[in-house]
Amino acid sequence: MSFLDTKPGVALMEGDTLARHYTVSGGFGKPTASVKALDGVSFSLEAQKTLAVVGESGCGKSTLGRQLTLIEKPSSGALKINGDAVGNLSDKDAQLFRRTVQMIFQNPYGSLNPRKKVGQILEEPVLLNMDKLSRKERQERVRDTMAKVGLRPEFYSRYPHMFSGGQRQRIAIARALILEPKVIVADEPVSALDVSVQAQVLNLMMDLQDEMNVAYVFISHDLSVVRHIADDVMVMYLGRVAEKGPTEELFNRPLHPYTRALLASAPKIDPAHRVKSEPLTGELPSPINPPSGCAFHKRCPFATDHCAQVRPELRMIEGREVACHRVEEIF
Amino acid sequence: MALLEVKNLTVEFGSEKNPFRAVDSVSYSVERGEVLGIVGESGSGKSVSSLALMGLIDYPGRVTADSLTFDGEDLLRMSARKRRNITGKDIAMIFQDPMSSLNPCYTVETQIMEALKVHEGGNKKQRRERTLDLLNQVGIPDPKSRMKAYPHQLSGGMSQRIVIAMAIACNPRLLVADEPTTALDVTIQAQIIDLLLKLQADSDMALILITHDLALVSEAADRIQVMYAGQLFESGPADGLFAAPRHPYTQALLEALPERSAGHDRLRTIPGVVPGAHDRPTGCLLSPRCRYATDKCVSTQPLVTDYYGRDVRCFYPLDDNGQPTGRNV
Repeated sequence: MSFLDTKPGVALMEGDTLARHYTVSGGFGKPTASVKALDGVSFSLEAQKTLAVVGESGCGKSTLGRQLTLIEKPSSGALKINGDAVGNLSDKDAQLFRRTVQMIFQNPYGSLNPRKKVGQILEEPVLLNMDKLSRKERQERVRDTMAKVGLRPEFYSRYPHMFSGGQRQRIAIARALILEPKVIVADEPVSALDVSVQAQVLNLMMDLQDEMNVAYVFISHDLSVVRHIADDVMVMYLGRVAEKGPTEELFNRPLHPYTRALLASAPKIDPAHRVKSEPLTGELPSPINPPSGCAFHKRCPFATDHCAQVRPELRMIEGREVACHRVEEIF
Repeated sequence: MALLEVKNLTVEFGSEKNPFRAVDSVSYSVERGEVLGIVGESGSGKSVSSLALMGLIDYPGRVTADSLTFDGEDLLRMSARKRRNITGKDIAMIFQDPMSSLNPCYTVETQIMEALKVHEGGNKKQRRERTLDLLNQVGIPDPKSRMKAYPHQLSGGMSQRIVIAMAIACNPRLLVADEPTTALDVTIQAQIIDLLLKLQADSDMALILITHDLALVSEAADRIQVMYAGQLFESGPADGLFAAPRHPYTQALLEALPERSAGHDRLRTIPGVVPGAHDRPTGCLLSPRCRYATDKCVSTQPLVTDYYGRDVRCFYPLDDNGQPTGRNV
C-alpha cells in the first residue's frame, strides 16, 4: 500500500489543519450549536520521535488523539501517513492503517475487557489484522510481546483484575505494540499511575521506542513528564495550537503567555526551579461560545484591544511556531 | 500545646484474627497555623488516617489510638454528640472530587446555609449574608447569581471553591484537604492552593494537605510527612526534607520524578509495587523494594527514631550524601 512506503523528506505522520466540530443541542427552543473541539491543528511527526500534546482539560488534546487513530473522522483537514491522505480508506486499507497507528488509553482500569484473559486481549488485534497467522504463531507473537513489556509468561491466562495499575498499563502497551505499529498515540498513559510506577512505564515506553522504532504522540497534562520524554511539544488552547517547538527550547524559554503561565503554575520540588508569578486568573472559556480574537485574551496579562478582535495565526519565531500578536513586545 | 495530637493511630479492616492494617501506629501533631503536608502513593493510608480523624470510618473498620487529642480533648473518648459538634465546625474537610462532594439536587446557597444552620444558628437573612461573604472570600465571580446555581452548572474549579466555602463556613481551626486539586488542571490547581494558603494565613487556621504530588507539598507545606503502606516513613520540616532525604523511600521517590532527571536518560525506578492487603512483607515494609535492604531489614521491622531533627523509620538513615549510615546496626 502506498501510504505504508516511507518516502525521503516526508514526515511519517502529518496533520493538515485538522478540525473536529461537534453539533450540540443549544437547549430547549434554541438553535443547535457547534463545538469546535479541534479547530485547525497542523503538525508533523518524524519516525521514532515523540511529539507531546499538552494543555488543560477541554483544550482538544484527546479529540486530536481520536482523529489521529481514525476512531473519529475529522470534520475537515487531512491526516497523512508518509505523505498520503488517509481520509477515505477502503476497508482493506483501513486495516493496514490500524496496523500502522495504535493507541494507548489513559485508564488501564477501563480499557481492558474484564471478561477476557490477558492472552485473549493481546491476541485479538492479531486475529483481526493479521489473518494469515496460525493459532500457534499468534500465541507465540503474544508471548514475545509480553516478554518485551516485562509481563511474565504465566500472566497469559490471568484476568485484568488480578493486576495492579502499572501492570495493566503494560498490558495496554503490549496490545498497542503487538501489530508493530509505526505510530502509537498515547492518551495520558501514566496519569493514573503512582510516581514510582509511572517511572517504570515511562522507561518502558522509551526502551520500546529504541527497540521497535516507534513514534509516539504523547498526550499529557503533566509538564515534567512531557519534558522528559518528548522531542517536540505542542501546546494547545481551546482547540488551537498556542505554541509548538522543540522541547528543551520551549521549556527553557516559553514564548506564548499561555505556555509561560502553564509552566509557572506547575509546582516544582527544587526551590531554584520555581517561577514566582501571579497565577492565571479565570478558567478555560466554553468552546461553544469562544471569545473573539485570541481565545486566551480574557486570561492573558498582556492582552490589548487588538488581541480581543483579531485572532493570531501561528508565526515562526526563534525556530518555533507561536500564535500571539505581542510575542516580540512582551519579551 | 499542639492543636492536634495523634498518638499511635491504627485503622484496621477485615477479620479480627487476620486484620488488614490500612494505617499502622501513626503519630503526628499539628500546631496552630501550621501547614502539614502528608504525601504517599496510593495505598499508603494517607486518606484513611484523615478519615479516621474525622470519625468517618464506619463498621467494619476499627479505629484505635493511644490518643487523638484536638485542642486538649480526646476525640475518641468524648460523646458522639460532642464529637459531632467539633467535626464540621472546628475540624473541616475538603475531598478530592469536588463534583461528587456537592449534592446535585440543591443550590449552592442551600448547601452552604445548611452547614451554617447546624453549627452557627442565626436567622435566614444572616445566614444568607454570611454565605455571600464566604463566596466572595473564596473568589467566586458574581456571587449573587452563583448562589442560585446548581452544582452541574459549575466548573470543577468553581465547585472546589464552593466546597472550600462550605468547609470554612464555621471558621474551623483545622482544615483537612484530601487531594483538593487532583481532579483539577494545573492553572486551576495553582489558584486553589493559593486560595487555601491565603485563607490559612488570614485566619491562623491549621491545614493538613494530603496529596500524592511531591512538588505540591514541597511548595505549600511547613512540615511534611511521607507515608508508605500505612506507616509513617519520614517526617520533618519541609525545608530540606526533599533536598536531603533521610529515608531510602523518600530518596527513591524523588529519583523517580522526571523533574529530577536531566535530559533523555532513563528514570531511576523503584522495582515492584506498594504491597496490598495480602502481600505485606515481613520486617520493613519497603525491604523487597529497597536497594539498601539487608537481612536485618527483612526480618525485623524498624521503629520510628529521631535522626537529626527528622523522624525516620529506617535502620540505616541516609547521610547528607544520600548514603545509608550504619548508625543503628
